[in-house]
Amino acid sequence: MGAAAILALAGGMALAVWDRAPRDASALFSLSLPDTSGQRQSLSQWRGKVVVVNFWATWCAPCREEMPEFVRAQREFGPRGLQFVGIAVDEPDKVAQFAKELELNYPALIGGYGAIELSKTLGNQLSALPFTIVIDRTGAIARTQLGPFKTDKLRSTIDNLL
Amino acid sequence: MRTRCLRILLHALAVTALALVASASAQVNPLAPEKAFRFSARALDPHTVEARFSIADGYYLYRDKLHFAVEPAASGLTVSSLPNGKIKEDQFFGRVETYRGNLIVTLQLQATPPGQRVVVQAESQGCADLGICYPPNIQRVTVALPAAGSAPTPIDEAPKKQWFK
Repeated sequence: MGAAAILALAGGMALAVWDRAPRDASALFSLSLPDTSGQRQSLSQWRGKVVVVNFWATWCAPCREEMPEFVRAQREFGPRGLQFVGIAVDEPDKVAQFAKELELNYPALIGGYGAIELSKTLGNQLSALPFTIVIDRTGAIARTQLGPFKTDKLRSTIDNLL
Repeated sequence: MRTRCLRILLHALAVTALALVASASAQVNPLAPEKAFRFSARALDPHTVEARFSIADGYYLYRDKLHFAVEPAASGLTVSSLPNGKIKEDQFFGRVETYRGNLIVTLQLQATPPGQRVVVQAESQGCADLGICYPPNIQRVTVALPAAGSAPTPIDEAPKKQWFK
C-alpha cells in the first residue's frame, strides 16, 4: 500500500517533469524569424549543429551582461560546430543597435513578445529572461537555463556535446 | 572542550545547510511576477485612488515602465508624479530609476461620479537581483469609489496574473 503510493507519487512526479521539459526542439526548428535586416531566417538551417538558443531583450540587463561570454564561446567553439542563436523579445532597431555595440557574431532574430509564449512551450514557466536552451546535434534539448548561464557550466555543456 | 568543538561544528554545519537551501531556492524558485510585484488599490475619497506596489525583497521595478489606466476611460485620470527612484547607471539606456519595497501612487479621477466602480490597471516591468527580468505585466484591480463624504475602502488586491492586453 505504502510502496504503491510512493511509486504512484514518483510516477506522477516523473510525468510532471516530463510535461514541463520537452525533450526535442523540432517545434523550434520549424520556425523562421526575421533578423535585424528584416530577412527571414529558418532555424532549421542550423539543425545538426550544437545550437544554443538564447531568449533575451535589450531591456533585460542580466541578458546583456552575459552576452559577451556568448560572443567569446561562439568565436572559440564555432569552428567545431557550435551555433548561438539569439531570439529577442524586443524591437528590431534596439536589437540592431545593441548587436552593433557588442559586435555580435551570431544571428539576432526578432521574436517580439510572441517569443515569450514560444519560450514557455520550451519550459520557461515564469516567462522571464534570459532563458537559454542547449540543443544537441540530434535535435534533443540537452539543457535549459533560466537566468544567467554560469561560464564554466556553459563551456562544459557545449564541450561535452561537440 | 570536545563538546564545545562539536557544538561549533554543528553550528557551522547548520549555517552551511541553511545557506545551501537559501541559494538553491533563490536559483530554482524565482517568484511569479504578480507575487514579486503585488499590486493593490483602494479609494481614499470619491475622486482619489491610492495604487500600491509591494515589491518583494530582491526585486525591483523600473520607473519609466510604470503606466496606469482606469476603465471606464472617461474617468478623467491624472496620475500624481511618481516618487523618485534609486538611480542606476545602465550601460545601454543610461540613467534609469528603480523602485524597491513599497511604492504608492495617487490617482485622481476627476470625472468619475461618486459611488461608481472603476477598474484600475497598472502596467509594470521589473527584474530580480538573482539575474532575471520579467516582460511588461498588466495587473487590474476593481475599486468601488465611495459615495461623497464616506470613509476609505479596504484594499483590493489584484486577483491573478494577466499577461499583456
